[in-house]
Amino acid sequence: MSLVAEAFVSQIAAAEPWPENATLYQQLKGEQILLSDNAASLAVQAFLQMCNLPIKVVCRANAEYMSPSGKVPFIHVGNQVVSELGPIVQFVKAKGHSLSDGLDEVQKAEMKAYMELVNNMLLTAELYLQWCDEATVGEITHARYGSPYPWPLNHILAYQKQWEIKRKMKAIGWGKKTLDQVLEDVDQCCQALSQRLGTQPYFFNKQPTELDALVFGHLYTILTTQLTNDELSEKVLFLSEDGKW
Amino acid sequence: MLLGGPPRRSPRSGTSPKGPQSSTGHVHFGKSPQTWPRRTRPRSPGLAAPSGVRGSTQPKRRDFPRRAWLTALSRYGARLWMGRRPSLPEARGPAPRSAAASRASRSLASPETSPSPLPATTRGAVAGGGSVQGRAGAQKEVFPGQGAGKMAAPMELFCWSGGWGLPSVDLDSLAVLTYARFTGAPLKVHKISNPWRSPSGTLPALRTSHGEVISVPHKIITHLRKEKYNADYDLSARQGADTLAFMSLLEEKLLPVVHTHVHTFWIDTKNYVEVTRKWYAEAMPFPLNFFLPGRMQRQYMERLQLLSGEHRPEDEEELEKELYREARECLTLLSQRLGTQKFFFGDAPASLDAFVFSYLALLLQAKLPNGKLQAHLRGLHNLCAYCTHILSLYFPWDGAEVPPPRHTPAGPETEEEPYGRRNQILSVLAGLAAMVGYALLSGIVSIQRATPARAPSTRALGMAEEDEEE
Repeated sequence: MSLVAEAFVSQIAAAEPWPENATLYQQLKGEQILLSDNAASLAVQAFLQMCNLPIKVVCRANAEYMSPSGKVPFIHVGNQVVSELGPIVQFVKAKGHSLSDGLDEVQKAEMKAYMELVNNMLLTAELYLQWCDEATVGEITHARYGSPYPWPLNHILAYQKQWEIKRKMKAIGWGKKTLDQVLEDVDQCCQALSQRLGTQPYFFNKQPTELDALVFGHLYTILTTQLTNDELSEKVLFLSEDGKW
Repeated sequence: MLLGGPPRRSPRSGTSPKGPQSSTGHVHFGKSPQTWPRRTRPRSPGLAAPSGVRGSTQPKRRDFPRRAWLTALSRYGARLWMGRRPSLPEARGPAPRSAAASRASRSLASPETSPSPLPATTRGAVAGGGSVQGRAGAQKEVFPGQGAGKMAAPMELFCWSGGWGLPSVDLDSLAVLTYARFTGAPLKVHKISNPWRSPSGTLPALRTSHGEVISVPHKIITHLRKEKYNADYDLSARQGADTLAFMSLLEEKLLPVVHTHVHTFWIDTKNYVEVTRKWYAEAMPFPLNFFLPGRMQRQYMERLQLLSGEHRPEDEEELEKELYREARECLTLLSQRLGTQKFFFGDAPASLDAFVFSYLALLLQAKLPNGKLQAHLRGLHNLCAYCTHILSLYFPWDGAEVPPPRHTPAGPETEEEPYGRRNQILSVLAGLAAMVGYALLSGIVSIQRATPARAPSTRALGMAEEDEEE
């Protein structure tokens, strides 16, 4: 969001309390939603629950297109629509609920860094697995992504999205990576998270923060989603500490 | 204990408390056993016999420098720089590097050193290196010739050449170079400005001692780690995790802005035409200067667009503002994380420091018109001090490098003047010739081959007739 728009939104947001009918939109849970989107959605739900804010989950086939930034999930609160975890966290903060107030500066920096790490590695790996690994694409992704639409739209949309994701992968340098390298990166990321977590219940102090929500969203989804390649979940299983959730 | 024998692989008695915890087995953060002076180890009595060590041949020392060698060197510097005077035939590039580094370190660490002229210092560093090899081990770089004679060809690093007081102007090259300096890896550095001359076609590129060529910066660093030049050895697992996290943060927030700075550098047309293209075109030989800058520009533009395409900015200005805002936030976060420490993880540099330094150095030193980010960075004093500290410590002579010629504004104008005028005249002449030629060819003007005597009179008559008709 631009600076002006953000200031505006914060002002408006601060004015009203959290309404009862806040809704979160995501794609159809059973047939359509993909691994990465599911992870993101779960992260937001976890975050809102940690803040004790009620939210209703609504599934729509065109959630991706409804969203202001093209990403799911997005929340509809009062008369505002905010998408993606980052802006949602700020929005919620403007309403007066924040999970990371108790952290000092260094910890806040670390939290942001770790969130970037998860976004950079885990999310990208999920996207890679979904869209660039031919086996998964053929068997699962295409079918799921285009399921609400009639032929030939389902194929067209799926190919379009795949092409877009592949371009993005190439731009960030993941285009040439093999699946093994990607899994290695995931491994590294999980190791890092595991080291950071240690034996504490949450990443920082005794309170959950948005980082915990994000990590939970991704890990839970990876562990509970059936893919052609189960190596991803195997890697994640090593993090036994997170079983507490 | 200091002489001969194979490189010590068994850890010293001062065991690392982190050793047993690294059971997860992923070696990215360097758990290879090394004779690595631990942070806690006191100055060992091994330093006590300088004279015996001076004449020794250096076994293959693949250990890496730690702060301990700073203090160790300080003790030896004063004593040894007067002693050893052999001319080192192989005292090539790495030697001056270590000399300067050790000189700088000595100036930091020891009250007893006196400023010494460079040659003596070189020899002193050499000798000091020889004597402290058991503990510091970094001085293998000081005897590259002897070391090189015993192992395979030394590693060669190809990177972009320097400018603006930095050893290299490319982000990745600078990071790899800094890491190599931190660890004292004996690299032969080729600074070139023609990516085709590098073995892999891109810069930076590392040619290992086995002839293999690696060109991804992270892989280069991994290779150096495998060759036991590991700056992250002392890091705890948690610090290693922090490294990963902060590198992701850098990549996500600062990289687009460095590219955007490069964007103002490459893509802002005025700047591009006046400064960038000229510099690169002059630095690069024909025929690269024609298409390489354009190609790089397109690459950066595409990456920027793809990455920002997610946000669907209304226009370029919005995008730029948002990028700058995120970058400022990132810089502030880095500053908070650094606090008052000398390096990110205590007193010794790690790979994260190499990357952060390369980003910050480029942002600070690049002379660009859009100074918002620079101004913000200058406001974060601990980051500026961090940059200058690393620059002075590890690249002291590079700081005196002359910036590429014609980078100053006065330069281009005076240089351009004669050519400018000539070009103008030539273009006017060419235009005139084209017009006249066209006129002749299309028949607007025709040259009649009449006798010169009659021609003026007929023409005068013709004109008189026309006047009358009017």
